[in-house]
Amino acid sequence: MKKGRIAAVLAGLLFLTSCQAPDREVAGLAPPEEERLVVYTSHKEEVYGPIVKEFEDRTGLWVEVVTGGTNELLERIAAEGEEPQCDVMFGGGVESLQLYEDCFEPYTGAGAELLKPGLRPEGDRWTPFSSLPVVLIYNPRLVAPGRLRGWADLLDPEWRGKIAFADPAVSGSSYTAAVTMLSCLKGDIWEELARFEGNLDGNILEDSGDVVTAVDTGSCWVGVTLEETALKRLGQGASIAIVYPAEGTSALPDGTALISGARHRDNAVEFLEFVQSEDVQALVVSDFARRSVRTDVADREELPREEEIGVIDYDTHWASGLKEEFLERWETGKGGEGG
Amino acid sequence: MKGLPIRSSFQKKLMTAFLLVGVLPLLVCVLLILNVFRFSLQSSSEANAESQLETMTAGLGERLAACGQVLEELEDRTSVARALAQGEGRDTRIYNALYNAAAPLLRDADFSLYDGEGRRLYTTGSGEAVESLDPGWGVLFAAREERTVVCRAVSPYEGTGRGGLRLARAIYYRGQVAGYAVARVGEEHLSRLFEGKYSAGSDVLVVDPRWNQVYASPTLQDEGLSSRLRSRLLEGLALAQAGEGYTYHVLEEGESGFLVILRQSQPMADWVLRLFYLAAGVSLLLCILVCLRASVGFSRQLFQPIWSLNNAMAAVEEGELDVRVEVTGADEISQLSGRFNRMTQRLKENLEDSIRQQQELGEAQIRMMQAQLNPHFLYNTLDTLKWLGKINRVPEVATISADLADILRSSISGGEFVALREEVELLERYVEIQSLRFPGKFVYTARIPEELLDARVPKLMLQPLVENAIIHGFEDGSHGHIEVSARRRGEELELTVRDDGCGMSPESMERFLSRRGPQGGRHFGLYNVDAILRLHYGPDRGLRFQAPEGGKGTCIQVCLPLRGGEEEGL
Repeated sequence: MKKGRIAAVLAGLLFLTSCQAPDREVAGLAPPEEERLVVYTSHKEEVYGPIVKEFEDRTGLWVEVVTGGTNELLERIAAEGEEPQCDVMFGGGVESLQLYEDCFEPYTGAGAELLKPGLRPEGDRWTPFSSLPVVLIYNPRLVAPGRLRGWADLLDPEWRGKIAFADPAVSGSSYTAAVTMLSCLKGDIWEELARFEGNLDGNILEDSGDVVTAVDTGSCWVGVTLEETALKRLGQGASIAIVYPAEGTSALPDGTALISGARHRDNAVEFLEFVQSEDVQALVVSDFARRSVRTDVADREELPREEEIGVIDYDTHWASGLKEEFLERWETGKGGEGG
Repeated sequence: MKGLPIRSSFQKKLMTAFLLVGVLPLLVCVLLILNVFRFSLQSSSEANAESQLETMTAGLGERLAACGQVLEELEDRTSVARALAQGEGRDTRIYNALYNAAAPLLRDADFSLYDGEGRRLYTTGSGEAVESLDPGWGVLFAAREERTVVCRAVSPYEGTGRGGLRLARAIYYRGQVAGYAVARVGEEHLSRLFEGKYSAGSDVLVVDPRWNQVYASPTLQDEGLSSRLRSRLLEGLALAQAGEGYTYHVLEEGESGFLVILRQSQPMADWVLRLFYLAAGVSLLLCILVCLRASVGFSRQLFQPIWSLNNAMAAVEEGELDVRVEVTGADEISQLSGRFNRMTQRLKENLEDSIRQQQELGEAQIRMMQAQLNPHFLYNTLDTLKWLGKINRVPEVATISADLADILRSSISGGEFVALREEVELLERYVEIQSLRFPGKFVYTARIPEELLDARVPKLMLQPLVENAIIHGFEDGSHGHIEVSARRRGEELELTVRDDGCGMSPESMERFLSRRGPQGGRHFGLYNVDAILRLHYGPDRGLRFQAPEGGKGTCIQVCLPLRGGEEEGL
């Protein structure tokens, strides 16, 4: 009896001491589950930021953005497997997306028919977001206009050690560029690769972002990069000029994928529709220096049209099948040249 | 050392009691005070925050409503719509209309007119960096879609590096969107709006319905606060995180759905709380120490006497009866000690008594055994004497010898109890001997009822009494009468030996009654009989002296339980 009373008093005291102000606000302010969307994106904030904000404003949904590298995020999606934390993978080149296509739910958007030919994937496993041609750049202070015309020029010993090229073992876009070059050159691909690697003279950059910097600063004379990167840096005043290779080039898209088993599937579908919509595609062209994937959205007037560039038919399956041997030969060549 | 466990257990109880009494109320008080203090601080700061927040939110709401009204007014003007549709800039009439409409709010927002392509044609502001807005995007898109005044946060990706919000209203000319009236409420305007409306230690944040930052007060150095709060919200965490030292108050502006967030420093900072806990801890510790010290002191004071009493008792247990406890003061323990002392005193006396009794019994037995020494030799000698008397014709010698022999035989034979008949016969032998010694000195009569002759009595009990009467009753040379009688009183046998001699001297009587033992062998028989009776029948069954009839002589009474002949001994 007595002990019980003491225990009651102590319990009361404990209650008093633990009596913090209850968190009323969170319950009322946090959005309900059906108003949420989780997006994994490998885009930079300047790309996903405006799109996500506009999407939120138009739909009233709350978008939770998780950023990271393409491969990192795709591995994370694969690891989450049956219980995905994420609803949409926003960004990532098609070559990367292709490796994880089992994680995605095919979705055919409302504007699927308006997509440019060659950009729409088989079975609509993902939705293309923007088209990214590979281009050559040179420093106009060091190279006379017209000297650099196409892929074949990169094999010219004149540029030996002066070519800015990112390591294809590290950079996905650099591998795409290399395969594009090999496809456009006429000879045996492995011989061409060996010649190209020889011409690099061991000067291989760690990151694809370094290519423009290297050319801009003059430490390299010419470089291989994506049109988007080049245009963006050009806009920021970099001292570079763009050359579309005479032999043609590839223009692979990056994409947006719906994760299979997504918890907020309806919202995710809305997001997919949105990023492919005319409004966003117009923004892709006007603000991001990219090319639209829609036929009804005109690219920038100052840019050559895709037909003029001579976009080649880039077989992603062939490219990914080739990757293992490519990297093996690349490493050997690198070692040989380096030693 | 035996006392220690008792003492320590008492000490423990005492200590527990002290702690309970000393610490518990302190603990309760400390916690109560702390909580009352915290609660009152918290509620006052909360009330303060709520009222500030309400003022600010109402101010924001009014501002937005006023701006919306200006936009609606502009939309109503056909001249404006026509000018926008025709894409004319720098028309003073349009500027007039714009400034007229915006007149009350010129300091509170920038008003602009955009054409259908999103190009800005007219503006009241000077600081607007963006010359055009994308009509397919953001606030213009929303204004066109919703056909009413819409409100959006300025996108941080616009590149102006400034926050704030825009209100927009699409303007229609002949059913087509001719342009947009836009009000920009920038950070500088909001800053002026909120100035002085919140207390110095607080910060203000305005966010849109999805918690994207619209405005942060200049005092708020924390750049990413709104996005951090947003992610906390999404993760279901509380806005206020422990250790940050802030509380957050949120109020929604009803019309736009924007939220005003007031961040306050916690009314009771962590270090104050820690200091309080430290002080409370120290005072608790002090209290505990005092309790311990007091309990030790008290137990020592209280249990020292008990301990010594306990030790004394242990000594008594060991048989040491001389132990005494020192009595100090008049409290209960001292009373107890006094009692103990008296009790041991009594115990010692009792023990001494019983030892003395034991000694007396032993002495009587020794005497009896001495009396039995070599009786057969004596008996045979007496028998020889008897025959010598007969042969030499001295009949008195023969009689005495025969009587003595009988007495001797009786005294050495059998147990301690005999039938009254035998005792009386023995007595008669003795009287015969004494009659020969003191002829004519006394007359002996025995009055024993026939039915009492079989009663069992201790052997040689009557003889010493009669001897006492003969030797002492008539020692002055007088003549007298000795009577032995028996009678039954209920279940008791009463034997009386009475003489009419000179009686016992008062000194002897007094000495006998006080049981101090015989003096110089006088009345030795009486003492012996008395002792035997007491030993057999209990301390109350000794000899009794009655007042003699006629005031002369001695009357000794013996009362025994009446027992039949078949019972042998006790």
